[in-house]
Amino acid sequence: MAALLRSARLLKCSPAVLLQVFGNSRHVSAAGRLYSEAVGTTRAGLCVQTVPGRLNVNSLSSYRLTLPCVSCRQYGVVPEQSGLVKDEPSVAVRSKQAQQFDWALAKLDSSVRRTGRVTKTLLLRIFHDICRTGYPSGNQALLLLRSCGSLLPEVPLAERVELSQQIWDKLQELGTTYDVSHYNALLKTYLQNEFRFSPTDFLAKMESANVQPNRVTYQRLIAAYCEVGDIEGASTILGFMKSKDLPITEAVFNSLVTGHARAGDMDSAEGILSVMKSAGIEPGPDTYLSLLNVYAEKGDIAKIKQTLETVENADILLMDRDLMQVVFSLTKASHQQHVPEIVERMRHERGYVPDAMNLCLSLITHGHEETAFSVLKSFTGLLVESQTSDSPDLGNFFLRHCANMDKPVENIVGFCKDLKDSGLHSSPLQFTLQCALEAKKTGMAVELMRSMKEEGLPLRPHYFCPLFTHYQKDKNIPGTLQALRAMQELGVASDFDTFSIYILPSFPSVDSARTSLKEAGIDVDGNILIAAELRTEASRGNLAGLFSLMSSPALPNIDLSAFRASLISGFRGFHNVELMAKITELLYKDPRFNSADPETSENVAYFLYNLIDSLNETEVHSKEEQIREYFGLLKNMNISISLNIFRGIRNILESYQVPELVKDVLALVDKKENGLETDATLLRGLEGKLSFLEKTLAELKAEGKPASSTLKKVITVLCSEERLERALELKTQYETDMTPAAYATLINLCCRHDNAEEALKLKMELARKDSEATLDAQKYVALVRVLSKHGKLEEAIDMLKEMKEKDVQLRESTIGLLTLTMNTAAMKGDANTIRRLQETIFTLGLAKPSSNLCSPLISCYLESENYAGAFDATVEVQKQYNQMPKIHDLICGLVENGDAELLQKVMEFLSQERGEMMMLYDLYFAFLQTGRYKEARKIIETPGLRARPTRVQWFAEKCIAAQQMEPLENMVDMTVKLFECDRDDMYHYLLRLCKETNDWQKAEATWMKMQEENLAPRERTLRLLADILKNNDKEVPFEVPEVWFEEVKGQPEMFLEQEIKSSPMVQAAPRKRVAASPPKEATVDDYRLKLLSLCKKGKAQEANDILKEAESMGMVLSPAPYDTLIKTLLASGNIEDAMAVKNMSLFKSLTPSMNSLFSLCSEDIDSAVELLESFYIQNTENQKSSISFVFRKVLDANNDAVLDKLSAMAERLCNHFASYRAATDLFLIYLDTGRTEEAKFLLQRCAAVNEQKDTMFTYMLRAAQQPGQAAKIKALSELIPDFTEKENIFSHLVKCYGLDKDFSSAKALYERMQVEGVKADELTLKRLAQLYKEAGATVPFEEPPESFRFYADKLNKQRSESMEPADN
Amino acid sequence: MAATAAGKKVFEVFVSKVLWTVATRDIKAYFGQFGQVKKCLLPFDKETGFHRGFCWIGFTTEEGLQNALQKDPHIIEGAKLQVQKNRKPFSGRKSNKEAEDI
Repeated sequence: MAALLRSARLLKCSPAVLLQVFGNSRHVSAAGRLYSEAVGTTRAGLCVQTVPGRLNVNSLSSYRLTLPCVSCRQYGVVPEQSGLVKDEPSVAVRSKQAQQFDWALAKLDSSVRRTGRVTKTLLLRIFHDICRTGYPSGNQALLLLRSCGSLLPEVPLAERVELSQQIWDKLQELGTTYDVSHYNALLKTYLQNEFRFSPTDFLAKMESANVQPNRVTYQRLIAAYCEVGDIEGASTILGFMKSKDLPITEAVFNSLVTGHARAGDMDSAEGILSVMKSAGIEPGPDTYLSLLNVYAEKGDIAKIKQTLETVENADILLMDRDLMQVVFSLTKASHQQHVPEIVERMRHERGYVPDAMNLCLSLITHGHEETAFSVLKSFTGLLVESQTSDSPDLGNFFLRHCANMDKPVENIVGFCKDLKDSGLHSSPLQFTLQCALEAKKTGMAVELMRSMKEEGLPLRPHYFCPLFTHYQKDKNIPGTLQALRAMQELGVASDFDTFSIYILPSFPSVDSARTSLKEAGIDVDGNILIAAELRTEASRGNLAGLFSLMSSPALPNIDLSAFRASLISGFRGFHNVELMAKITELLYKDPRFNSADPETSENVAYFLYNLIDSLNETEVHSKEEQIREYFGLLKNMNISISLNIFRGIRNILESYQVPELVKDVLALVDKKENGLETDATLLRGLEGKLSFLEKTLAELKAEGKPASSTLKKVITVLCSEERLERALELKTQYETDMTPAAYATLINLCCRHDNAEEALKLKMELARKDSEATLDAQKYVALVRVLSKHGKLEEAIDMLKEMKEKDVQLRESTIGLLTLTMNTAAMKGDANTIRRLQETIFTLGLAKPSSNLCSPLISCYLESENYAGAFDATVEVQKQYNQMPKIHDLICGLVENGDAELLQKVMEFLSQERGEMMMLYDLYFAFLQTGRYKEARKIIETPGLRARPTRVQWFAEKCIAAQQMEPLENMVDMTVKLFECDRDDMYHYLLRLCKETNDWQKAEATWMKMQEENLAPRERTLRLLADILKNNDKEVPFEVPEVWFEEVKGQPEMFLEQEIKSSPMVQAAPRKRVAASPPKEATVDDYRLKLLSLCKKGKAQEANDILKEAESMGMVLSPAPYDTLIKTLLASGNIEDAMAVKNMSLFKSLTPSMNSLFSLCSEDIDSAVELLESFYIQNTENQKSSISFVFRKVLDANNDAVLDKLSAMAERLCNHFASYRAATDLFLIYLDTGRTEEAKFLLQRCAAVNEQKDTMFTYMLRAAQQPGQAAKIKALSELIPDFTEKENIFSHLVKCYGLDKDFSSAKALYERMQVEGVKADELTLKRLAQLYKEAGATVPFEEPPESFRFYADKLNKQRSESMEPADN
Repeated sequence: MAATAAGKKVFEVFVSKVLWTVATRDIKAYFGQFGQVKKCLLPFDKETGFHRGFCWIGFTTEEGLQNALQKDPHIIEGAKLQVQKNRKPFSGRKSNKEAEDI
């Protein structure tokens, strides 16, 4: 106890902790908790021995005055020696140690708090972690040693002793310096673990290590003597204590009670109590506990009862925990018959359950599981309350520990039966079996299964899998055979999968497996072996062997799917094309391989697709001849494939640039069966597209049909190919068919080609045709740009006005374009244009005044070195828009020019507008920038000037971005004495620039400077420095801190500000304290902040570590950090970790990031596809999230290779994983971009897309909102006629025609509706009527009388009513 | 595999809290009472040899799916299963059953 309390104090004064002032106040409570939980279970340990007492009781009384009068249950605390460590590790290392200590302590603490125990696994993990970092601190050593005693109830005593010894030696080897606290802790574990040792040797050991024993040491040594009843030894130590004037505490007396009793002298033991009293110490609970324990060892229940009564009368409180010790003593001395009497007296205080569980565990560990079971049964009532599930499973901990401790199976089975019969556990045998299997205890597992069988419980083949995996790992054939034999004995049949996945891999070959099994007398279904053999031969590429196996009449039915993957890997080499063809023929013709789905003959076709799909481009190129030969042979064997499959294969081959091979595949397609298609259409590539479209256009025109959608398509294609002239030609040719969308595309192209005249002309034409037509913001701004650039300022301003009128919303990127527009004018020195544009933009409210938008005006003057003009403009902008852009550039210009007079004016203005401090900083930076360091120094040394981190950061970032070392270095030098300047930040900036320029010499010099300045850098700074040095193969002269929980301080302020404000924890505490917040207090929010800020800084790896840490603490972060981290990892090219992170967040939604994910890793298309694919396969929530964006991007970029991969992925997802979203998206994108043919083919390949009616419907709904979409809806309804009711399709088409004002189509549609007998709703009729009237035709039906709104509302109401019940 | 999924909408439920003792065929048999079961995938962890405690059941008909969803509670071997409409498709790729299949 003292040791623990002391450790808390030690921690408090340790210099490492001074780095984290805020954090350490919490250590005390944690350590205290660790201690207080531990203490209850540490007061055991008594023996029976008899030696006559020789203690001079009277001599003790002389210590009376020095005895602490209040310390009833606590040992007095001895003033701590200043535990100086010999080698002072650097401050940085100690900071790390402090953090690690926090971490380890937090882990242990939480375990102790929850359960009152520590698992060996956890302890070992912490031990190894601490060792790995190389510098185990004294505190960590203490922590570990302390945990090796009774906190490990599941570990046998001998093992605990071994563990403590191992830790002691290892840490010593690693350079930990032990002080007296360590020796005391070791002593405590000896006592707790009943380890017999020689106290004199121990003292000698301490002496040789030059460590002085203290009172606690002596007390524990006395206890050690007393344990074995050696009163003489105890007296010797007492003598030592006396000679050193050390107080004799209650603890010493308590030990003496035990000592006398174990020496067989009960009278003396009992007499100690009166000795205590005469020495002025009242016997406390621990004294009585010692007495109770010695009675328990004698089995003297009468005395126990009597003592308990005495205790009660003396108004002393014994805790349940104390009684549990009595139970333990009784049991250990084989007096368990008295246990129930003690158990009855338990008062079930708070925390009783974990204590009782620990008692059970200890009893089991010590071989008293029967007693443990009776204890368990005594408190199951308390456990029931915490039961939530319907099937009870009380006593799991008990059964598990029994299994782990290899208790006799008959005992365990007895416990199980009891638990089950008393309704405490629904399936105890199954649970115990699970434990045995997890612990890989084959013998026990088999015995348990035997019992289960006797009980009539089913045994299943997969019960054996955990055993097989175990044996498989070390290819343990005898083990495997043993398990198999048990399986056979128990009458459990192995199945194909169990066999091929879990059993066979243990054997070198199928043959040897067969032989071994036979020798061992194990029957295995021959088919299983044969199937396994097929796989083996196939994957080895032994095609001859495979062929003979497959063609053997003895072969049973075995579906291709059982060995498809192996076969593909065997085929990939294309080494023996002839055999490959023969095998393929077998697959095609022999029904045995097609047993799963005999109706279809697609088996082989899919196999061929998969085979080609498994090859990469290089393989296809190098094997082109063999592949051709293979297909040729297949053709000769009359093997045919369907059109769908052909298309799939064609797509792959085309993407690999081997179109010639396509012909060979085409030869396999049965032309007759597939009807109309000719070779030519099937082979048509993308090149023909434009001419085809143009031809269609001409045809449509010739037939007098509406051609606007085709025209739009042609123009889009031409625009994407930048063929402006041809597009304009077509426009003139088919002027009447031009839709607003076609105009928009064309206008944009003109803008891109810097053709202001034509753009304006088109825009006006469009306005004439349709005054309502609105371009998107980007196109408007492009127009503004090109117009203003070509001196058409008024027209440009008109465009801006039109944007306002039509309420076009500007986004960030579009606003950027506006800045660019004005900058173009600035380059030409055209201030007037800028002013007009600025004015218009701001007065119309298209964008709010910002520094960026205002800067072109200043730049305009600076460009021509008209500083006076620039100053006037600055004043103007400041007055009008409250912005002050480019002030740094202006001042720099003035400084360089030496225009003192104007500079003075600017300074006065600045001082007036933003205050003197800001003005000084502006001037300072200008001097730095222009290399006038002397002047700069004068400024920064202005009395009263203090650090402004944001301003300093601004300049530093600017230097880093521009890679300007000199000004940055000067700033860092000059700010040494600047008040409140964060020196670490400053050096961090410097090092960041060093990192940018990879300048290790400068970095090293920086390191020296930091030392000169006696600076304790933050870990991030050290890591950065180490990073630079390592990158240049230089030695790192210090220990690189491990990433753990980096201080929040020193983040880019802007980023964190928002977050910090919103964090309640941060609001509560002053800012500085947050910075030093220790890890064990780290909340989910802290982790999130930390993670996000690391990501922001691009420290993907560190962020990843933080995430892992958070996960290991069982924290669940919101999706955002995961997203960000994935993005960051991808950005740093670490796709593997990104995948891992993604997997970690398996059941958390990741939606929004996926698109950006894709674009980020688009350089590695395979990974991108994999990411997307696994995303769709694994994410439950996200079937709704569309990846249209990705497809569209790829289509727009004309990136065929990528498109093919994505398309293959979509098909795979659809056909193999029943994930239809990707395929549906692709289909709709094809449709939307006018690639109807592709859409059709996709539909044929992924028929399930047909069923995605909701998505189709949504698409239609959305499409019908905009003009010019009728053709798409029509195409959709032609491809998937039944995606919704005809009424729906027709009404939406009518809506579209209405928007397009396309009367002729509407009329035709109405006629068709009449023919097909489709009833139109009133709204549709209303729309139709409108069209008829506009065209001046008579309405051929009665127009519904009410307004549009009326019918629309009516329809909506109907819909929502009919939807409700179906909606779930 | 590829051939079977094409064209047909799959009616799937996602089942979790499956006791470790329950095997694929047991769960398949159990859900067979609601309609014909086309697919039953109970993925195993190859490292440990235990299954992962969740599975997917695919019915051939909508009716089977609805029947299964309407029943509550679902109890196999005394333990209550959690059954919900599947929004996550078969993750066949990761399972042992289909390890050979991709």
